[in-house]
Amino acid sequence: MIAEFFYRRQALVLGTLSMIGIVVFWQIAVDTGFINPFFISTPSQVAAEFKVQFEDGSVATNVAATLYCFVWSLGLAALVGTILGMLAGWFADVESALEPFIWFKYSAPTVAFYPLFVAGLGYGTPTIIAIAFLFALTPIYANTLSGIKNTDRDLARAARSFGARPLDIFLRVALPGSVPVMMAGLRLGVGRALTGVVVAELFGANAGLGYAITYYGQLMQTTKMMVSIVIVIALGVLLTQILSFLETRTDSWRVDSGR
Amino acid sequence: MAQIEIRDLGIDYRKPKSNEVFSAVDSVDLSVEKGEFVTIVGSSGCGKSTLLMAVAGLVDLTRGSIEIDGKRVDGPGPDRAVVFQEASLLPWRSVRGNVKFGLEMQRWSGGDLNERAMQMIRLVGLGRFSDYHPHQLSGGMRQRVNIARALAVDPEVLLMDEPFGALDAQTREIMGTELLRIWERAKKTALFVTHDIDEAIFLADKIVVMGRNPGHIKEVIKVDLPRPRNESILDSDAFHELRKRLRAHLAEDMSSMQLVQEVA
Amino acid sequence: MRSAEITAEPAEARQLSLSFLRPSRSAMIGTLAVLAFLVLWQIAPTMGWVNGRFTSRPTEVLLAAIDIFQNDDFLYHARISLTEFVAGFALAIVVSVPLGVLLGTSKIARHLIDPPLMALYIAPTLVLLPIMVIWLGIDMAPKIAVVFLGAVFPIVLNTMAGMSEADPKFLRMARSFGATKFDIFTRVLVPGSLPALLTGLRLAVGRAVLGVIVGELFVSQAGIGYQLNLYGSAMRIDRLLVYALIVSAFGYTLTVIVRSVENKVRDWRSK
Repeated sequence: MIAEFFYRRQALVLGTLSMIGIVVFWQIAVDTGFINPFFISTPSQVAAEFKVQFEDGSVATNVAATLYCFVWSLGLAALVGTILGMLAGWFADVESALEPFIWFKYSAPTVAFYPLFVAGLGYGTPTIIAIAFLFALTPIYANTLSGIKNTDRDLARAARSFGARPLDIFLRVALPGSVPVMMAGLRLGVGRALTGVVVAELFGANAGLGYAITYYGQLMQTTKMMVSIVIVIALGVLLTQILSFLETRTDSWRVDSGR
Repeated sequence: MAQIEIRDLGIDYRKPKSNEVFSAVDSVDLSVEKGEFVTIVGSSGCGKSTLLMAVAGLVDLTRGSIEIDGKRVDGPGPDRAVVFQEASLLPWRSVRGNVKFGLEMQRWSGGDLNERAMQMIRLVGLGRFSDYHPHQLSGGMRQRVNIARALAVDPEVLLMDEPFGALDAQTREIMGTELLRIWERAKKTALFVTHDIDEAIFLADKIVVMGRNPGHIKEVIKVDLPRPRNESILDSDAFHELRKRLRAHLAEDMSSMQLVQEVA
Repeated sequence: MRSAEITAEPAEARQLSLSFLRPSRSAMIGTLAVLAFLVLWQIAPTMGWVNGRFTSRPTEVLLAAIDIFQNDDFLYHARISLTEFVAGFALAIVVSVPLGVLLGTSKIARHLIDPPLMALYIAPTLVLLPIMVIWLGIDMAPKIAVVFLGAVFPIVLNTMAGMSEADPKFLRMARSFGATKFDIFTRVLVPGSLPALLTGLRLAVGRAVLGVIVGELFVSQAGIGYQLNLYGSAMRIDRLLVYALIVSAFGYTLTVIVRSVENKVRDWRSK
């Protein structure tokens, strides 16, 4: 019975084991003096510090500040990226006109313009949202574009044979057919928006996880810093998992092109 | 003694999810003479491909035995070569590279690899295309490469698993004639799986008709049409007669399947 | 005997294309859009629509570029950033390719290492920058580390996927010819996963460039990111833009190169 459970859930069992293994190894490596705790702290210290920061409310404050910027930037990116992507996917000329800018945006590390944003928007929240918005925009735009553009020809032709007008085809064939690809874009956008927020917070903020990491980093307080690092990683995994889940829910919409 | 001897063969599968045991092939006895062209025909799910893969040594036997020239089959060997349904050509190799693949795997020692590969490519009529990559070829051309790759290793037995199944009717007919031309020159024992009745008759010295639940042999039919054959025999009376007989077999299978569906 | 099929031309015969002499509609529209943007950018401050102090102008940027290439120790800073990039990226390749191969061929290793790997791939690895600074100081080392961390995961994961998702029909075909495990590895798995590896490299380029710049913006004494920071705080937007454009051009060129190799390799794949 146990063997069968192990066999079926091998991925889950081994994955959990390896996570536990890492934590245990981390603790032992420091306890035995193999690594100086100044550099990396220990899981038990981090846990204790997490409790402290949780109780004094700073975890809530930082997470709230980061999530606030995250939600705004992702929301804006989803809105703008989807609209631009739909326009570009439906009208080839719009795609041609946008392409050079998108390529530039894709290859330019947005952070390079950080000082420019600070000059225009000032330190803090608006700049953070702007940076994260630009981080998240590309995958959302690109996926919407490809989803609309690759509308299944057979379905479109079938719709036209029933007398559908272009707008009907867009709304009833192209758009629903693109939902799974758009969800995948949103999932990528989630990761990038979070990166954008945290990176921008590293450079200048009054609160937020990135801010806390830099702040304690400058004070060389590894344990306090680790709390926020662990939260960021957990947040990234959690948010992406939620989106992956939503993505699988839309999977049945996928148009199978018969390959 | 026959070249291929299959005795009381049985192959069971374990379904991955439910752990249920499912019998794909049961109580199969068959012998194939050297140089004979045998086609195996049956509706889908009758275990014909499983039988072929067992002869290839790619499927484990549950019961019984398969012998080739008196040697028990327990895995793939240089005495057999398979032509798969999808061309399964390595996309990063040229036509020549693909034909050389089998030779490389078997550490071919019969002279220059390139020479041997080119010889086979010319045999299947693709001499001009030896440097092309698979994505540049049509479906029919890919299957020619597939056949050349199998012939290159100079097997005793050529095993073909619906090699023309993915081709259109026209190309399929051409490839059938081509295959006979190549086979008559190469003089190999051939085992050919198909669900196309005309193809089964056209190619065969002997047709093995299989039925399902579990896969078993229903009848073995001798085909006495003269060789070399071409499309004109498709219209002969003897051909019509065989076609009628095979149709009856397959129709029987279909009706029993419907019955099962109605009951379930 | 009918053999018309053989004389048929191959499905995708390559032809020499001279189409670049006649620009396509999309290329023209793209160029026009960029020109329109440049003109708008140029006149907007004059017209008082935006504050030129924040936006600069294309002409100013061009002049700043000439100035920078002539006398701003440009090569010195570029060399430092490039060194960090190359060192981190090379390190990432050395670690990630063998790791990806191991994970791609061993299911147990994959199940064991996949969760932490995915977590680090998803999570913004740049948050480790401050701790890298504590560990490694403020010279090139923490930037190399961040570049490494950014580049390593996409390469590992893509190599792994390429290896483990090898087409089963190729494996069966190889086995039918008596291929050994080693044969299958070297002749089927490795060439088969090459496109995936290249995809990984392409994704890694973006992350690595970002790593260099973020690392240098965060703390540095030289490098392109240092210059960005310098001119940003001095409000020299023209110079800031020149450096930002240089980084873009670098990332763009590298991505295009890897993508073109990738497309060439992918061309082999049957459709």
